[in-house]
Amino acid sequence: MAAAEGLRPGAGTEFTRRAPGSPTLRLAGRRLLAAIPVLWGVTFLTYVVMNLLPGDTAQLLLGANATPAEIHQLSVELHLNEPFWVRYGNWLGGVFHGSLGTSLQNGENVTTILGARLPVTAELLLYAFVVSLVLAVGLAALVARWPHGIMDRLSLVISMMGLSVAPYVLALVLIYLFAVKVQWFPAIGYTSPSVSLVENIKSLTLPAIAIGLPLFAVYTRLLRADILEQLQREDYIVTARAKGVRPWPIVLRHALPNSMFGLITLVALNLGTLIGATVIIEPIFSLPGAGDILVQSINDHDVPVIEGIVVVFAVVVVVANLLADLLYAALDPRIRYGRVAS
Amino acid sequence: MAASLPDLLLTAEKAPADSARARGQAGWARSLRLWLPAGFLILLAAACFLWPQVYPVPKPVGGSVLNAGLPPLSPGHIFGTDPVGNDVFSRILYGGQVSFEVGFAVTAIGLAVGGSLGVTAGYWGGAVDAIISRVLDVLIAFPALVLALAIAEGLGPSELHVIWALSVFSIPATGRIARSATLALREQTFMLAARLSGTRGPRILLRHVIPNIVPQLMTFSLLGFGVVIILEGALSYLGLGIPLPEASWGSMIAQGQQTLTASPDLVLIPSAFLFATVMSLNLVGDALRERWAI
Repeated sequence: MAAAEGLRPGAGTEFTRRAPGSPTLRLAGRRLLAAIPVLWGVTFLTYVVMNLLPGDTAQLLLGANATPAEIHQLSVELHLNEPFWVRYGNWLGGVFHGSLGTSLQNGENVTTILGARLPVTAELLLYAFVVSLVLAVGLAALVARWPHGIMDRLSLVISMMGLSVAPYVLALVLIYLFAVKVQWFPAIGYTSPSVSLVENIKSLTLPAIAIGLPLFAVYTRLLRADILEQLQREDYIVTARAKGVRPWPIVLRHALPNSMFGLITLVALNLGTLIGATVIIEPIFSLPGAGDILVQSINDHDVPVIEGIVVVFAVVVVVANLLADLLYAALDPRIRYGRVAS
Repeated sequence: MAASLPDLLLTAEKAPADSARARGQAGWARSLRLWLPAGFLILLAAACFLWPQVYPVPKPVGGSVLNAGLPPLSPGHIFGTDPVGNDVFSRILYGGQVSFEVGFAVTAIGLAVGGSLGVTAGYWGGAVDAIISRVLDVLIAFPALVLALAIAEGLGPSELHVIWALSVFSIPATGRIARSATLALREQTFMLAARLSGTRGPRILLRHVIPNIVPQLMTFSLLGFGVVIILEGALSYLGLGIPLPEASWGSMIAQGQQTLTASPDLVLIPSAFLFATVMSLNLVGDALRERWAI
């Protein structure tokens, strides 16, 4: 135990001196630099795809009855007649000046739209994540204590079901059960937390379950397998047992922290894919979030709004991956002190 | 999608900590774990593709309004009819064809394109690996559903366009699995032996690499197959998949949603088929993974 104390930051200054400039920070800096081309690639790819698609945006905005002159005028107004490179360059230039452009649909500022839409999505995803993570960690620790017991079998069945259910199916079943049959929660609509916090949480509960249950299933499955692997294969577990540590502390204090790496990686990856979940779930529950406006914008070819949302989600993914790396370092002293080639 | 391919990458790459053998399960129990879901899938596929050929079922489209809204277990319409008067059972069968076709095609494209990219990157390494890996990274980091929605919206709803759109998911994910599986083989002694005895690259790939990564790709593809079926339903649900009035489980669910309060069975029946199919695919994948110990 004394040796482990020495590895904690601040306890042994010689370690920090041996790695000048904090390896964790250098790792973070390297990851941030590597993220720039990926972010650029994502915005560029989005622009290319949206521009390769057939369909004249001006025509789409004006409807079927527009005259060619009107269409031409709008194209000029919105700079749609300029070459692709010029438009992408203008947009990218705007980004560096902190402007994400304006919506082609109604001229509204994209930053304003995001400011109105993102908090709803963020609250929903946070709700889904916190509940699914807390439940998954708790259940995985519980079933790993008695593997192959009745709880374990039950949890395997639940996670297999959660893994197989489509989010939109789950959403509709939840609406039918908890909003139509027993009216515990509103079926659709969103209440702002400034109006009523209780109503706000109630309006987000069913969508959060629809997003969170599949996550909970995947997390439980992964974490259970990781904990069992630690318990069965690692020498430090044998040591702990031999010196008489009780079974619960072995699971919670020894095996669990060492099993978190896979889960952290998965959560960081998940954040990016959840843009897909919000695209489906928000319209079902009539939530005014980012996923809802994204579907509309794709239908309207409203490229600036699509770009804005995609960029925000891409940044979130990059930051989440960075946080995951930092969390590894917090969990594993070998990474913290740069002793492991990463 | 909450359960999209990148999520599965991690669970798929993970060896199960406890096999059925370790649990001391009997041989027949292990067989059952594989063949029960596999049998269900085979039966369902046979029903979807063969039943309408050999046994007269009502047409899935163009039903009569006189028959509209019949409850399940009505005479001649075992699952009832929808508000337009189409037979739900027949729409389930035809919608199932779409699900199987799209799932199969997207998985096959993923295996062919992503698989060859991954094997190439893993086997040759160096600059080839660097370029292919970066491209796969960007594709995985990219919100693929946005791309799929954009493609489906831009090209218009059709089964072929759904297949192209969903390949955006399957190609990078399969590529990554194939690459890591090939990388793991590279250092094996038999690979060294093959190279020392003068075997040429293509022959090594064909005789040594591919047979050894097939189990891993196969189990991953089964998981991916389920995800693709869910995503096909999602696109159809959003009206960007199979064009109406043709049947798809996703669009049936979307239509049923409008009458959810009055007749929930219109949502529940296609949902149950979707769920059972995806779960069977997952169970077969799990059983095979256990059997091959990967």
